[in-house]
Amino acid sequence: VPYSAQFKDHLSHPRNAGELPDATAIADEKNPVCGDRLRLSLIINDDRIETARYLAYGCPPTLVCGSVLTELITGRTTAEAKQLTRADLLNAIGGLPSRKHHAASLAIETLTSALGHKNAQKEHK
Amino acid sequence: MPHAAPEVGGAGTNFMAIRRVYLDNSATTPVDPRVAAAMSRAVVETFGNASSVHGFGQQARAAVDRARREVAGLIGARQNEIVFTSGGTEANNLAIRGLCEAVASHGRHIITSAIEHPSVAGVCNELEKRGWEVTRLPVYENGIVRLEDLNKALRPDTVLITIMLANNEIGTIQPIREVGALVHEKRAAGQRHLWLHTDAVQAAGRLSLNIDDLGCDLLTMSAHKLYAPKGIGALYVRRGVRLHGQNVGGHQERERRAGTENVPGIVAFGEAAKLAREELQQRSAHDQSLRDKFEAKVRSRIKDVVMNGDREQRLGHLSNISFRFIEGEGLLINLDLEGVAVSTGSACSSGTLEPSPVIRALGVTDELARGSIRFSFGKDNTEDDVDYVVEVLSQAVERLRALSPLTLVT
Repeated sequence: VPYSAQFKDHLSHPRNAGELPDATAIADEKNPVCGDRLRLSLIINDDRIETARYLAYGCPPTLVCGSVLTELITGRTTAEAKQLTRADLLNAIGGLPSRKHHAASLAIETLTSALGHKNAQKEHK
Repeated sequence: MPHAAPEVGGAGTNFMAIRRVYLDNSATTPVDPRVAAAMSRAVVETFGNASSVHGFGQQARAAVDRARREVAGLIGARQNEIVFTSGGTEANNLAIRGLCEAVASHGRHIITSAIEHPSVAGVCNELEKRGWEVTRLPVYENGIVRLEDLNKALRPDTVLITIMLANNEIGTIQPIREVGALVHEKRAAGQRHLWLHTDAVQAAGRLSLNIDDLGCDLLTMSAHKLYAPKGIGALYVRRGVRLHGQNVGGHQERERRAGTENVPGIVAFGEAAKLAREELQQRSAHDQSLRDKFEAKVRSRIKDVVMNGDREQRLGHLSNISFRFIEGEGLLINLDLEGVAVSTGSACSSGTLEPSPVIRALGVTDELARGSIRFSFGKDNTEDDVDYVVEVLSQAVERLRALSPLTLVT
């Protein structure tokens, strides 16, 4: 498994793990095929993502994508965050084998869902 | 014993810097230096073709015969009942397809179990596509087949029962002796065309085995599970059992397996079988003592674990544990980054997840099946290994659980 040094670092030292009790946006998405799950909670203030936390269940790429995603979006405006692509995420973790790309897709879907639900109440899918 | 440092954790991991513990002895075992020494001598000195008539050939033939006696001795067989193959998978193919093709005129029904190794399950699936009927006996939460299910499944046209001796993922020992007795009973009652095969790849060298006691007609072994290299295995074929050769074009192995004998591999297997027989008691006691200490420590240190498989009827070197709320592969890679090698039966690829069919057959939830990890001990492991692994394991489980949305109370 040719995982990169960044990948291993995120796996051993996850960033921003957890849940925000005062989140302004939460999304909880699941890959219906493999059952991997990613939960993102954000505090968005004045259209800027101030804080991001994630929880993840699934294969290592899913866990790592959650961690990297929170780093990439913290401090960005929602418009900037919406521009983030699967390729940006893959790039930030030093690449993934193609059979694991679905982990990055799940992360982008969860982000899109959270940004679409700004100011929404907590919801559990 | 010094091992070279292969790339286990992926690019860039410096394994010289961290402690390494190999707990995947059910996947394969490190080659015993005594076995390696015997093999290297054979590579250099015994290069003759064992089928050649001259002295070089006779020297190779003698080495093969000596090894055959040792391998036969491991299971109480006669030496002419051992067929060398390239490994367990080929032996299983030869046993099942070879027998079914040879006796097709007597019936086309096979009974097997739901937890066989892919090399048995795959051959059965293939025969099913070609017109054979296959009954797969369930296992229950203890991971063991029941004789009453076997009795119900038996038909007049059943020609083969193939059930593993011990499972590769959870280590449960199947009641082969009782199955063998049942087969003998059926034969005595007139069902002459019924044979018993057992895949003993995980059991050979770990349990004391005797084929007369087991009552089987065919038994599969693999050398690399008993401290020999990969690429060599054997099929025990009881005298008088007919097999349709799967590899044809030569007279080797009494027409059952054509191809020039792998003399160094066979010599290695012979040496490994001899050592396994001599050291069986001490190795089993050692492995089981480490395994039991490991399980006790895991139970006291880590909450929400489920130990899979029967507690008594199982191999002593193996422990299969499901860790709730987390996924096996994440735990495996986390342990690998700390130098600890284990395995998981679940695999996630291309967005499809296949939780271990063996753990699923126990009737557990998907979450538990996905969170199962196999720890398998071997003769080179130490008590310090147990302490280190438990330490690293409890930290990794804690780290992954802190990430898991499944722990949320919603």
